[in-house]
Amino acid sequence: MGAYLIRRLLLMALTLFGMSVLIFVMLRLVPGDIADILTNASGISDAAEKAKIAHELGIDQPILVQYGKWIGGLSRGDLGYAYVSEQPALDEILPRIPISGKLAGMALFFAVMLGVPLGVISAVRQNSKLDYFLRVISLSGLSLPAFWLGLLVLMASVQWFGTIPIYDSSPHGFWDDVAMLGLPAIVVGFRSSALIMRLTRSSMLEVLRQDYIRTARSKGASMFAVNFKHALRNALLPVVTVIGIEAAFLVGGLIVTETVFNIPGVARFLVEAILWRDYPIVQNLVMLIAFVVVTINFLVDMAYMALDPRIKFSD
Amino acid sequence: MRKRMAFAAVSLVAFMTAASPVLAQKAGGTLRISHRENPPSASIHEEATISVVQTFMAVFNNLVVFDPKEKTNSPDHIVSDLADSWAWDASKTKLTFKLHPGVKWHDGQPFTAKDVKCTFDAVDGADTKQEMMRKSPRSIWYQNVKDITTNGDNEVTFELKRPQISFLSMLASGYAPIYACHANGREMRTKPIGTGPFKVTEFKRNEVIKLVKNPDYFKKDRPYLDAIEWKIVPNRATRMLGFQSGQFDMTFDSDVSFPMLKDVKAQKPDAVCEARPSGVNSNILINRDAAPFNNADIRRAMVDTIDAKAFSEILSQGHNLDGAAMLPPPYGVWGMPKEMLASLPGHAADIEKSRAEGRKIMEKLGYSAAKPLKIKIATRNIAIYRDPAVILIDQLKQVYIEGDLEPIDSSVWYNKIAKKDYQLGMNLTGVAVDDPDVNFYENYYSKSERNYTGYNNPEVDKLIDQQSAETDFDKRKKLVWEIEKKLAEDVARPVIGWNVDNTCWDPKVKGVNLQVNSIYNGWRFEDFWLDK
Amino acid sequence: MAIIDHDAALARAGANVTGRWSQVLFTARRYPLGAVGAVIVAIFVLTAVFADVIAPTDPTATNAKFSLAHPGSLFWLGADFMGRDMYSRIVHGARISLAVGAGAMGLGGVIGITVGLASGYLGGWFDLILQRLLDIMQALPLLVMAIVMAAALGPSLRNTIIAIAIPLVPTVARVVRSSTLSLREQPFVEAARAVGMGELRIAVRHVLPNTLAPLIVLATAQIGSAILVEASLSFLGLGIPEPHPSWGRMLSESAAEYVRTAPWLVIFPGVAISLTVFGTNLLGDALRDILDPRQRS
Repeated sequence: MGAYLIRRLLLMALTLFGMSVLIFVMLRLVPGDIADILTNASGISDAAEKAKIAHELGIDQPILVQYGKWIGGLSRGDLGYAYVSEQPALDEILPRIPISGKLAGMALFFAVMLGVPLGVISAVRQNSKLDYFLRVISLSGLSLPAFWLGLLVLMASVQWFGTIPIYDSSPHGFWDDVAMLGLPAIVVGFRSSALIMRLTRSSMLEVLRQDYIRTARSKGASMFAVNFKHALRNALLPVVTVIGIEAAFLVGGLIVTETVFNIPGVARFLVEAILWRDYPIVQNLVMLIAFVVVTINFLVDMAYMALDPRIKFSD
Repeated sequence: MRKRMAFAAVSLVAFMTAASPVLAQKAGGTLRISHRENPPSASIHEEATISVVQTFMAVFNNLVVFDPKEKTNSPDHIVSDLADSWAWDASKTKLTFKLHPGVKWHDGQPFTAKDVKCTFDAVDGADTKQEMMRKSPRSIWYQNVKDITTNGDNEVTFELKRPQISFLSMLASGYAPIYACHANGREMRTKPIGTGPFKVTEFKRNEVIKLVKNPDYFKKDRPYLDAIEWKIVPNRATRMLGFQSGQFDMTFDSDVSFPMLKDVKAQKPDAVCEARPSGVNSNILINRDAAPFNNADIRRAMVDTIDAKAFSEILSQGHNLDGAAMLPPPYGVWGMPKEMLASLPGHAADIEKSRAEGRKIMEKLGYSAAKPLKIKIATRNIAIYRDPAVILIDQLKQVYIEGDLEPIDSSVWYNKIAKKDYQLGMNLTGVAVDDPDVNFYENYYSKSERNYTGYNNPEVDKLIDQQSAETDFDKRKKLVWEIEKKLAEDVARPVIGWNVDNTCWDPKVKGVNLQVNSIYNGWRFEDFWLDK
Repeated sequence: MAIIDHDAALARAGANVTGRWSQVLFTARRYPLGAVGAVIVAIFVLTAVFADVIAPTDPTATNAKFSLAHPGSLFWLGADFMGRDMYSRIVHGARISLAVGAGAMGLGGVIGITVGLASGYLGGWFDLILQRLLDIMQALPLLVMAIVMAAALGPSLRNTIIAIAIPLVPTVARVVRSSTLSLREQPFVEAARAVGMGELRIAVRHVLPNTLAPLIVLATAQIGSAILVEASLSFLGLGIPEPHPSWGRMLSESAAEYVRTAPWLVIFPGVAISLTVFGTNLLGDALRDILDPRQRS
């Protein structure tokens, strides 16, 4: 177990290192850099002015030197300076994380609250009309483009409430958060809820078929007890897995939803930073996302092992 | 006796009615405006977009401004800002300003004539250390400046190489704020200090820009507003919804297109909306140095197919203005009259005839509907550029030209144009001041950085210099028309139309006076107030 | 990995099925949702292929007179603010979506199969390094990778296909690799080796066909993802450029702005995307049930 853990952690570190190199190189393959953007923004293409800006920002140095500076800074907690805002990158990124975090958290909460019960119902009433109906609904959840759903929700909100939730970052309480982020969270969480529903259903079905359930039933345990005490506990395993998979997928949903609802979160910031070639922001954000994804996968695997000791891990 | 009483009563009422607009302004309140994109920086001198000017003009003062109470920017309606008075010398090459005493920067330091010199030396590129500005897109405006001298704290003189009446108009533009000598570039780009009616308290990228009232503003009783809050909302649909649902008091300038106007007014019937030209024209960049447009005949055929009316109808339900290089009358002060315009290529009244001629030209060169000329049309990858490009592609089909759109990321757009890496480009040009010097020197003078097509006609250059030095207004206007005619006949950079768009605001916002021949010069916000 | 032998099962059940068509009908009745999915996908493909016949109007022709026209006899699904026929744009948009979906899946599939086969078959250091590379690529969400690639390559049909194909490679490679690993030890592979067959031939002629089943399931699921990612990219302005009619781009800014005067601009392209992806998902589910009973839902 100890050896496995150490190997796992080493692999994580290796993955993150590889990611840093990959994103660093990929960014510099993109045509145009911040010096281009800044001069283009004022409608000119003066080589001398561009060179001056490039030198000031340090992007005219050899690529290995730039990489070394960035990694060195990372280890000290210094994320460098954002090109566009000329503020420390950490100051730009940090305040946006809780916003996206709250949105993602609310989305997952909604997804689990909706997906698990529906998945259970669907499994227990397998092949009934209700089951088919729920399966179709969940599949449509996986087929709707998130931004389309967002647009529809936005329009409906105007129609019914006469207003749209506009995010305000001044200090506010928990229920203000719910009011501002509730609708976007539903949009982000809808797809996850569909996935969770499907997975809960299929794993419930497997568990329900198993012998020890039949044994419990034959012993006279009530349907309710059988379903919820025995089956559900074991069926929750894949839900944990899904949270891991969804952690990565959620970012995609966050990107478009934050754009549509104009929420100043980390995901939208990433897209803007890419479009602005703000390398320090993009590099650090991508590393952050990769770190979060890799860590969640690791935690999910650990949870998996803890929940089901029958599972052995070999790599 | 009764007559006198009546007369006194009437005069009293008249006096009160006349005075009441003054008494009625209420101080206080925060004006909330939606902003369409993140300003590249807060430093007006370094940037060239309305996103920066409209937001930060309130932080500064100029030496002089176009009278904010007038609808039209014109050289005879220039009033004081930081300069109490000014005068040309006899040779009309020295312009001396007497500055208002006792003005303070937002950080408390005193404003002096040296600040004026520092600002314009930096803009001109004479400031070799370049700590105040990293770039200066309008240095060409000041190419005629020989020297700037100060005389004490309250007097500054600009010495020009030759007479240039337009120089004063340039200084009156929103793009000519005065910076402090002790300011550094980074500060001016992120949290600038000025002498203006508002101070910057917050500039959170992609989120919000907050300005608050400057209590020490040198103009008494101004501004009326306590604060201005700009919320950055890149998605136009969300911006409109925000305005309609009352979360914004005013839309961004020219943000409401005509097709959207109906929707806005339907959802918010009490909205006050005003349409006016934005000083932006859509034009076609032609690469004359490479095939196929190095062939003058093909250039002509291309221009013959342009139906400016169709562009206008689709983009603005017919409201866009048909004009040549200068903004056309009655909005523009210098543009050529309609009768002259009709004789120029690209503005023909009978579009079918003109297209038939274009087709004849192409057929002679061997092209037909079955064998069209295939080209690429480059444009910036944003909606206001793409939409006219799509229409152009459709119209080019009428003269056997098959265009494929090549959207270029904004970050490399001007690079690509400067390298002449295109055949046709769909472009939008904002003209900061309705003035021939500003427009011609920036866009058509052979040595200008923003003469993107590299159009080089020494005859036109000479005419531009000639009209710039001309002090008689009517003589100058005729020269300007001659230049417009030559540019159109040369197919230098065909202007398809001048955009007209709407700006809307809630009726509680008062003091709004949109200027009709430029969007860049009237955003001091010192006369705005909220009637709550 | 056992593939259900339907003919044998049917014969045992006493069914009297002979022709192909009756077999298909029988399968369809057993998997009704899958049949619906197959029909939807077929409509989608046929629409894409015969777009010029079904919608002869030019989808890029602008006409100010018909700006924001209501759906009616002239414009079946209305017109957008440039007066372009929405019906025609949606039909031709199917072509774009099919090209991107199939193209990305095809390109990603070919690369993924090669990588996975090589990795699983050759093993050792090669496998270890490739695995780590795939890990890294999978640490980033699909959309983020696609955005960076699309920004790097620039907007065009070809570049969008590449931008979506590359992030799809790790998933395909993983599936092929795990199949290869389990198949590698099977007796028939040993037998082939004993007979003197070259490793490459064994890999391609014997191992690969047996990985097809999970691959087909994966492919149908990934086509749906590819179409959704393309829609998102176009929505963000990075995908298919004008004037190609892309469903995703039709939903971006300009459609949402006119939503109350012209709601059809938002509804129809969204329905088109959702329906198509829905169909591929239904089909994918059913195929998974048919081809791999261990993953049955």
